[in-house]
Amino acid sequence: MVRLIDTGLEQLASMVFRMGELAHKTVSLSLNGYIEGTNAYEEVQTLSEMLIAMADEAENKAFELIARFQPVASDLRILKSYMKITYDFARYGRYALDVSQIYTRLGGLKECEDWINQSIREMSEKVLSMVRTSVDSLKSHDTNLAIALSETEKQVDSMYFEYLDRLVDKAPATNRCTISSVLVVRYLERIADHATYIGESIIYLSTGEKVILR
Amino acid sequence: MFSPYKFKIENLNAWFGSKHVLKNISMKIKEKAVTAVIGPSGCGKTTFIRCLNRMHEIVPGAKVSGKVFFNGIDIYNEDVDPVQIRRKMGMVFQKPNPFPMMSIYDNVAAGLKLNGIGDKEKLNSVVERSLKLAILWDEVKDDLNKSGASLSGGQQQRLCIARALAVEPEVMLMDEPCSALDPIATAKIETLIRMLAEDYTVVIVTHNMQQAARVSDFTAFLYFGELIEFGPTKEIFENPKSELTEKYITGEFG
Repeated sequence: MVRLIDTGLEQLASMVFRMGELAHKTVSLSLNGYIEGTNAYEEVQTLSEMLIAMADEAENKAFELIARFQPVASDLRILKSYMKITYDFARYGRYALDVSQIYTRLGGLKECEDWINQSIREMSEKVLSMVRTSVDSLKSHDTNLAIALSETEKQVDSMYFEYLDRLVDKAPATNRCTISSVLVVRYLERIADHATYIGESIIYLSTGEKVILR
Repeated sequence: MFSPYKFKIENLNAWFGSKHVLKNISMKIKEKAVTAVIGPSGCGKTTFIRCLNRMHEIVPGAKVSGKVFFNGIDIYNEDVDPVQIRRKMGMVFQKPNPFPMMSIYDNVAAGLKLNGIGDKEKLNSVVERSLKLAILWDEVKDDLNKSGASLSGGQQQRLCIARALAVEPEVMLMDEPCSALDPIATAKIETLIRMLAEDYTVVIVTHNMQQAARVSDFTAFLYFGELIEFGPTKEIFENPKSELTEKYITGEFG
C-alpha cells in the first residue's frame, strides 16, 4: 500500500541525493583547482550557495512532512537523518569554498616543495573518496559503506597530524605555502569529519542505532 | 517490599466462547506511569484492560486464564472479591457516560453515597477535590446542580473521570477516552492523563498512535491477541524492534 507520506519522502530523498552529487562535484572542483593551480572560485561559490539553498529547501520539506503526517519509527529516523545530512552536504560546500578562497588569496601548491604537493594530493584523494562514499552509502542506505568511512577518517586524521609535524620540522620555503597548505589540510580534515557524520546518520536511519564513527 | 510495578501479568489468556482473543500475554505495568495499549481493531486491547479489573468475566461465555498480580496479589485467585478489585480501578469509556438524570454534583458523589458516605461536608470536599483533579472545577463550580448531561462531550468525559477519582482508586483504566471528542477536548484530557500519572497508574487503550506517543511512558502493541512488543514509548515510536510494530505504527497496515 502506498502511504500518503511516501510521495513526500521520495521527493525529499531525490532532493537529498541530488544535493549529494552536487556536494561531491563542489569538493572535487575546489580540490582539483587547488592542486592543479586553476582558479575555480566563482564556480565553487555558485555551487556552495546552491547547496545552502537546497539544505533550506530540504529542511522545509522535512518540516512539512512532520507537520502533515507526524511520522514515527523509520519514517521519523529518515527525516531526522536527512536534515542532518543536508547540513553536512552544505558544510562540504562551505569548506570547498574556503579552499578555493585560499587559492585565490594565497595561491596553490606551485610554490611548495614536492613533499607538500604529494601530501596534499594524497590527503585530497582520500577525502574526495570519503565524500563519494558518503553519497553512495546514502543512496543505497548501505551501512557497511558508512562504517568503512570510519577507517578512512582515521587515516585522514593521521595524515593531518603527520603533515603538521613535518611542517614544524621542515619549514617550507615560503610563508605563503605554509599558511595556504595548513589551512587547506585543516579544511580537508573537517570535510572528512562531516563524511563520518553522514555515515553515522545512515547507520541511524537504517538501524536506529546511534554510533560514533570518529 | 516496594515494587515499582502495579501489575504483573503472566500468561494471560482470554476467550469469548471459543474465540481466543488474548494469547499468553506477559508484561509488567509500572506504577504511577501511563501505559498505552495500541493495535488494530479486534486485536484484544479492550479485552486486555477489562481483564485487569475482572470486567471481562461479566460477559456471558467469557473466560480468562493466567495470572494478573495487582499490588502483588493475583486478582484471579478464588479468595479475591472482584468488586473490591474494581473499586481500586476507575474506568473511563469511549463514550462519556455520566448518569443523565443526576446533577454534576451527584454524578461525582454517587460512588461515595453508594458506599454509605452521607456526611455533607465530606461529600462537598470530595466533589470539589475530584472536579479539580479532573480540571473541571473552574468550569462547573457555579452550576453543580445542573444535569451532567448538559455539559459538552469533553466536559462530560472529565466529569466521568472526576466520578472515577472520587472513590480514590489506585488505577485509571481508559478505553479510548478521546475517540468521541474534538481536538481541544482531547488536548485537555491528554493533559489530565499526564497530571493523573503523578499519583495514579494509568492504562489507556487508544486507536490514535500519536495520542499514545504524546501521553504514554510505555506502549504495548497487540496484534491478533498477541503482545508483539512492549517497551518505553520513545523506543517503540523511534526504533521499534519488531517489523510488525514498525509496519503498524507507520501505517503500512492497520
